[in-house]
Amino acid sequence: MSTPAHALASAVRKQEQGLLNCVHCGFCLPACPTYRRLGDEADSPRGRLYLMQAVVEGRLDPGAEAFQTHIGRCLGCRACEPVCPSGVEYGHLLELARQVGGNARRPPFLARMLLRVFGTAWLARPAMFAGRAMRATGLPTLLTRILAGRRPPKGARLAVAMLAASAPPPPLPGRTEGRPATVPQRETGDKPTVGVLAGCVQAGLFGRVNQATVRVLQANGYRVVSVPNQGCCGALHAHGGDLETARSLARRNLEAFEAAGVDFVAMNASGCGAAMADYGSLLADDEELAPRARALAGKIRDISQLLAERGPVPGGTVPLKVTYDAPCHLLHAQGVAEPPARVLDSIPGLEVVPLPGAAECCGGAGIYGLTNPRLGGWIGSDKVQSVLGTGAAALITGNPGCMMQIGAGLALTGAGIPVLHLVELLDESYRRGGLYGEVDR
Amino acid sequence: MVPVTLAKSLVEICGRDGVILDEERLLVYESDALTAYRHRPGAVVLPRSTDQVQGAVRAIAEHGLPIVPRGAGTGLSGGAVALDGAVVIGTARMNRILDIDAPNRRAVLQPGVINAELSVAAGAHGLYYAPDPSSQTACTIGGNVAENSGGPHCLKYGVTSRYVTGLAVVLADGSMVRLGGQGRESPGYDLVGLFVGSEGCFGIATEIEVGLLPVPEGVCTLLGIFDRIDDAGQAVSDIVGAGLLPAALEIIDGPTIRAVEDSVFAAGYPIDAEAALVIEFDGMEAGLEHDAERAAALCALAGAREVRTARDEDERMALWKGRKKAFGAMGRIAPDLLVQDATVPRTTLPSILRGISDIGQRYDLVVANVFHAGDGNLHPNILFDRRDEHELERVERASKEIMQLCVDSGGTITGEHGVGLDKKHHMDLIYGPDELDAMWQVRRVFDPGGVMNPGKVLPEDTGPAEGAGLPEGIGGD
Amino acid sequence: MIDAGVARAGDAEGPAVVYPASVEEAAEVIRAANRTGTRLIPAGLGSWLGAGGWTGPADVIVSCERLNAVQHYEPADLTMTAGAGLGMAELDDVLRPNGQWLPVDAPGVGAGTVGGMVACGVSGALQGRYGAVRDNVLGVDVVTGAGRVLRIGGRVVKNVAGYDLVRLFTGSRGSLGIITSVSVRLFPRPEADVTLCYGGGTTEIVALARTMCTSPLPIAAVEVEAGGENGETVMVRLLGSVGEVEEVLSRLVDSVGPKPRAIVRGDESAALHRDRGAWEEGSALVVRLAALPDRLADTFGRGAALAGALGGEIAADAMSGVVRVKASPDAGRDGDVVRELSRAREEMEAAGGTMTLSQARGEVAARVGWTGGRGSDGGLGTRIKELFDPASILAARCP
Repeated sequence: MSTPAHALASAVRKQEQGLLNCVHCGFCLPACPTYRRLGDEADSPRGRLYLMQAVVEGRLDPGAEAFQTHIGRCLGCRACEPVCPSGVEYGHLLELARQVGGNARRPPFLARMLLRVFGTAWLARPAMFAGRAMRATGLPTLLTRILAGRRPPKGARLAVAMLAASAPPPPLPGRTEGRPATVPQRETGDKPTVGVLAGCVQAGLFGRVNQATVRVLQANGYRVVSVPNQGCCGALHAHGGDLETARSLARRNLEAFEAAGVDFVAMNASGCGAAMADYGSLLADDEELAPRARALAGKIRDISQLLAERGPVPGGTVPLKVTYDAPCHLLHAQGVAEPPARVLDSIPGLEVVPLPGAAECCGGAGIYGLTNPRLGGWIGSDKVQSVLGTGAAALITGNPGCMMQIGAGLALTGAGIPVLHLVELLDESYRRGGLYGEVDR
Repeated sequence: MVPVTLAKSLVEICGRDGVILDEERLLVYESDALTAYRHRPGAVVLPRSTDQVQGAVRAIAEHGLPIVPRGAGTGLSGGAVALDGAVVIGTARMNRILDIDAPNRRAVLQPGVINAELSVAAGAHGLYYAPDPSSQTACTIGGNVAENSGGPHCLKYGVTSRYVTGLAVVLADGSMVRLGGQGRESPGYDLVGLFVGSEGCFGIATEIEVGLLPVPEGVCTLLGIFDRIDDAGQAVSDIVGAGLLPAALEIIDGPTIRAVEDSVFAAGYPIDAEAALVIEFDGMEAGLEHDAERAAALCALAGAREVRTARDEDERMALWKGRKKAFGAMGRIAPDLLVQDATVPRTTLPSILRGISDIGQRYDLVVANVFHAGDGNLHPNILFDRRDEHELERVERASKEIMQLCVDSGGTITGEHGVGLDKKHHMDLIYGPDELDAMWQVRRVFDPGGVMNPGKVLPEDTGPAEGAGLPEGIGGD
Repeated sequence: MIDAGVARAGDAEGPAVVYPASVEEAAEVIRAANRTGTRLIPAGLGSWLGAGGWTGPADVIVSCERLNAVQHYEPADLTMTAGAGLGMAELDDVLRPNGQWLPVDAPGVGAGTVGGMVACGVSGALQGRYGAVRDNVLGVDVVTGAGRVLRIGGRVVKNVAGYDLVRLFTGSRGSLGIITSVSVRLFPRPEADVTLCYGGGTTEIVALARTMCTSPLPIAAVEVEAGGENGETVMVRLLGSVGEVEEVLSRLVDSVGPKPRAIVRGDESAALHRDRGAWEEGSALVVRLAALPDRLADTFGRGAALAGALGGEIAADAMSGVVRVKASPDAGRDGDVVRELSRAREEMEAAGGTMTLSQARGEVAARVGWTGGRGSDGGLGTRIKELFDPASILAARCP
């Protein structure tokens, strides 16, 4: 186990190589949600890289307010990466910067506690249970209705609304069509084997999404196997700069998925997907684990990719006007843009309207709402306004964090627009189309 | 650090979140996109309105501190670098499009509007904003006005000054003047044209009126691949000489091709080529094919290995993306780069390119060329590592020699990036003492106290002599 | 007093004319004038003598007639440098064999000089397509009113080295200095030149002109003429490759507006527009009204009223929203003319527009002012005038 001093030195070394690629062209500025709103160079990717460089050069103390504030204010949405002509790996540098910053000054208590809960199974399970129990009382939904208004969502209001937003959506319009004359069957030859990452929030609050994921995969000719002993992906820890915990969580998942012998790992939480696709880099310093981590990272697929690969097979009609918001960790971090559109296009009766600013972060960004309530609320309410402007009856996305963030924002406007995961919608289409072999499950 | 009294008034004017005073937070404002110069400002203010700009300018001027206007900091001549603890006035928060007046094909904007976003907004009316500097996805209109920015398409459409029709300008004493506006016709001296390209030395434009053009019906893009860069230069001369008027003619040389292809913007250029020539025609579909065929034939005649035609919008965009992001992609070859911006008469391109290559070899430096060939506007990028002091010195000497070479051929030291801090000591390559003196005096008309962006554009040793309006011995009676 | 040729213009009472043959000689003239307090009027061929400068009697006309050499012309560079006294017609003769032109259709273009075109800075109807005069001037050599020789700008198409003083001298109406040499940007002469002519009542043709202006089709110019021998006419000019022009032509005829009265091609089309340019020639009073293009009907109406009062004709560049009024030689007594002009200016300015005098006799210009209200520049123009012409030998004030 490396000492903090050793980690710092190595982080600095890595930063220097990555940072020198930045030619200071400024192309990243307009892509950054915080710069767009604050207009301060220090809140832009280029500015943050400059601060990192100053730390490397010894001109700035990582404990300094400037470093802590502006590195802390980054959403980690990585929208700056696709527009960078020099290929600066901002996401990695940010994690290292947060580690350096965290070593210099302890992160806030609440943030540390939350990360602790996610990373520790015996803490996470009761917390999620409590959340579900609370949600089941209907109290959050009621409170959200009472608290609805024009103010930006933040603080306790946001927390309550987020919990309410994780509840199953109301029934969608249209009706079940019954079983088709012939259920489309995928060729039964070599079915690829898929393991599904259950995830923490996903498993805790969005069990229905995990179940739908399994069903739609099977309907598209995948063999889904269970993967025992898997756990948290470590994304939030890595983003927060707690790379040590992130690595130990990665090791556990690496062993679990290797043991299951899967061809692909299906991800229905894009934050987790981006983190696992990055295991190769995370464990790069471990000679024994690095090649294995790279092999596993090569098997990571977003659920939309696996579905689009197979068509996906069409289901029943869902007569609904929807709009799609691209999760940052799907679009920017993994570069997955087309597959979700193909899945949506495959659903009969669905009208998809473009969402202005779909590529911009919703302000959820892990625990951002907690660490930067004001700015997070501002970014979140812009997203909500954009959704309302489309006139869509539902918002579709692919990450639980985004679902809760945008769902909470929408709920607080009282507009009654639900947020659905992409697979929930496809699952409903399949159910209506009778692909699961029965009219009512 | 600025005086406490100034800090207090700035906070009163722009709000606590509109003023940056903390030394460490000011670090990031040391440079613009030319990182060779680093100077930390005394403070940064981020006003939201013309009123706030006026208030801030007055307060700063009262304290005798200099002012540096800054847009997105994408400039390549060090124009937004704050010398002597100057206070930076950033326009990032003044980013509203105030009006798109489609029937009159014009728009009124705040200076912080991003160039490309204006075209997106105007697109809803079938219009666009023609000047398209390579940094158009990031740079602001205010910065474009200050630098009189060009771009690949100004071969056919002209540079920023052709499109700016009106300005509200806050002068160094905090007063606001309105120049031009309400369309192209404006009586009296062309003060709008004079202000455009004044690099922040005349004042801060807080409201900008620009002309828009209808989006052309069709676009056709060609790519000529050459084994010799001279041949590509010849093809450019031949195409223009034949009476064709492409919307753009761009050359990307071998080292740049390889940098781009290695970046996330790989455009599919063959990596063993020594030059790629991008030719674009726009207009009615009916005329495009004919023009494109003629251009392709001229490329072949000049020795092109192959000529490709972008078959759809995706291919076209990829092709342009590679060209437009070339500057950033250079970061992959070396940690630092110095971009030159000389313009030469088009017909001298082949000999100038050979000359630049010779200079690079003589100083043992990698020089990558990517430039607006149709305008004769060169962008030799000298790649280096600032941590090597000897190399830095060679870069400076090579840089000056390249400029001299271009000036000798009838060209100028900067075509679109501006003089800024970087080239002010080369101004005497093209202007004599009388011209420089006239420029000093015009600058003093706008800014008698020398408050606005001091230390830029004009070399100090050519400073205005007292009463220099008349040559010695002559006085009006 | 100086070596340059001196002659009397007209009768012996008129001002003397000097003909400097080099920039140095022109500088000598100006320095001498500074010493003696002589009032000068710079001129090309004298076709726009009533376009600026002294409104009262001047002492000496400085003619650039002898400064008429083509100094540099490399066709493939699409640029040219020439002495200010080179006639626009002679310039065109040089460019034509190379398939090039200078698409600046400044009014009076047939007779004027390159220097006069730059000094007046008035643009014709092609400005929408090719840019205004100021957009196509790359550099000038000038002798300032203080007698300094400045070589500003250059002969390359993109140049941002230093402040753009070229813009300042372009359209300065001789009030800052004498332009002795000009570098301009050239264009390939278009393959096809076609003009569609439409007739109709005033309301109809103004509306049609606006329709043409807002069409996304590449139209080079839209001009409207009224009160002349051709009656009310809209002329829509198309320039470009044969393929493009024919396509636009067929779309215009098929789907935009009524059937054209005539379609004129090639040299005939070019000649038609040369006539529009020469339209101002010989008139002692030409007024230019301008407002945003979508106010064309109002501006045209205002111009028609003025033309009625002055017994003149009107012509409009619809794309720029400019309406020119040419008064008849017997426009009336000066007092009446001044009153009409002042009212037109007031009304135009109240509506956010402008009224300038393109040509006027000194007496009228002195009372009306060349350009009118310019209250918002904070005195910048005046200070610039004082800077370059401190002894006021070129003009009393900035135009």
